[in-house]
Amino acid sequence: MNNIYAQGAVVSVIGLCTVFLVLAILWGVLELMRVFFTAPKKQTKPAKAQSAPAPAAPAPAPVAVADDGELIAVLTAAIAASLNRPASSLNIRSYRKVGTAAPAWNQVARRDNLIG
Amino acid sequence: MLNLLIEGITSFIQSTGIAKIFAATAETPLAFAGVDFGTIIMLAISCVLIYLAIGKEFEPLLLLPIAFGMLLSNLPLANVMHNVLFVGSGEEHFVMDFGKILHEGGLLDLLYLGVKLGIYPSLIFIGIGAMTDFSPLIANPKSLLLGAAAQLGVFLAFFGALFLGFNIYEAMSIGIIGGADGPTAILVTKTLAPKLLPAIAVAAYSYMALIPIIQPPIMKALTTKKERSVKMGQLRPVSKLERLVFPIIVTIVVALIVPDAVPLVGCLMLGNLFKESGVTERLSKTVQNELINIVTIFLGVTVGATASADTFLQKETLFIIVLGLVAFCMSTAGGILFGKLMYVLTGGKVNPLIGSAGVSAVPMAARVAQTVGREEDPTNFLLMHAMGPNVAGVIGSAVAAGVFLAMAKVL
Repeated sequence: MNNIYAQGAVVSVIGLCTVFLVLAILWGVLELMRVFFTAPKKQTKPAKAQSAPAPAAPAPAPVAVADDGELIAVLTAAIAASLNRPASSLNIRSYRKVGTAAPAWNQVARRDNLIG
Repeated sequence: MLNLLIEGITSFIQSTGIAKIFAATAETPLAFAGVDFGTIIMLAISCVLIYLAIGKEFEPLLLLPIAFGMLLSNLPLANVMHNVLFVGSGEEHFVMDFGKILHEGGLLDLLYLGVKLGIYPSLIFIGIGAMTDFSPLIANPKSLLLGAAAQLGVFLAFFGALFLGFNIYEAMSIGIIGGADGPTAILVTKTLAPKLLPAIAVAAYSYMALIPIIQPPIMKALTTKKERSVKMGQLRPVSKLERLVFPIIVTIVVALIVPDAVPLVGCLMLGNLFKESGVTERLSKTVQNELINIVTIFLGVTVGATASADTFLQKETLFIIVLGLVAFCMSTAGGILFGKLMYVLTGGKVNPLIGSAGVSAVPMAARVAQTVGREEDPTNFLLMHAMGPNVAGVIGSAVAAGVFLAMAKVL
């Protein structure tokens, strides 16, 4: 009877140690990857033109605004509802369609207003 | 003429399921006064599960097929599933006869072969891989350790199951519920303890649905207000090259140490490579949608169908439900406590709440960490930080499963 508990203890210890070992090795590998792949070269990222005055708005980003009065009205209403602010306080200067290629979970998060 | 008619009606009535329910023999499980209560209870449980899936939206994509599969296989005389073909009828060393299954099996028997051969869980992992963004993990590799710590519940529940009298293989299958990963739990159970498959699948998926209820009290009990309010710095941007190399390296490292985890981790990383490569968008979309959906239907219905009265209506099922809850709670606590350790070691830069996301239920556990963090400070955004341990938990539970499968061979 005690034998099974001894076996259990062995399996638990080996199991937990192996899980930690594998993930710790991966940690080390990822740190190495960071050193090799993101070498000191300074990335001068193109300044992201998040020019919209509504900072937390889900989508605003650059694209020339044509005569899209109706679309702008819809976007303004959506942002106003999302931010709980009067539409008159918003001024949409540009917008950009966010591709649907984003991972499904990001899309869910975006829909639930968790990430921008 | 009249006699013929009465005879016809009588034999028709005798061929109905209702007659079968009221003609239970001594061998029928849970039979009382000639009534087959086992079947009646199983049909009732199926209906309750269907209600939970539709009415309460408990993991409906899986629970609904599981519950309906359970309903189908317990309908008297419908004969859509024959468990005896897969687990035998009590023999010591039962060997599955594939020829017999192909000749005598019904629709669900044939579909169940995908579970029995371990095909469905791996295919589902390809889809999960294609849906997973490992960038938060690559940007903050320390979170891998949180994913490991959150496997604590797996091993504690394993030990608990041994104490409750399960054999070592059954205990392993029960413990893996704590990994909060349905396909992994199914893969381990179908190999080590096929009779427990329905109970373990139902427990695993039910608790995954209940994560937003189970985790927050534990998270709050184990952390202080100050710890919960920690704001973590912005994650560094991750280059495309890193995201491409990551799945390849993980596959190689895991395969070299725990070869038994390869079917899961390999498929997870294959799916991720489809997504990250940028040149296989069609494949990526297919595995994220069509493939995973089709396989989920097959997996859910057939796993549910294995729940017959004689295997499901046992005290072991209750033990499994309780141990599953213990496993979930302990895994959450393990992640949080390790998060607290990291909080101390980093001088307060890590919010311990993200540790709870180390149980792999993606992305629900990460969202719970985000929600609890936001309750303390509405301007605190932990989601992306919690996604690191969350996806690490997927790898961690697959490795734990691999260890169990490997150890089972030598014990």
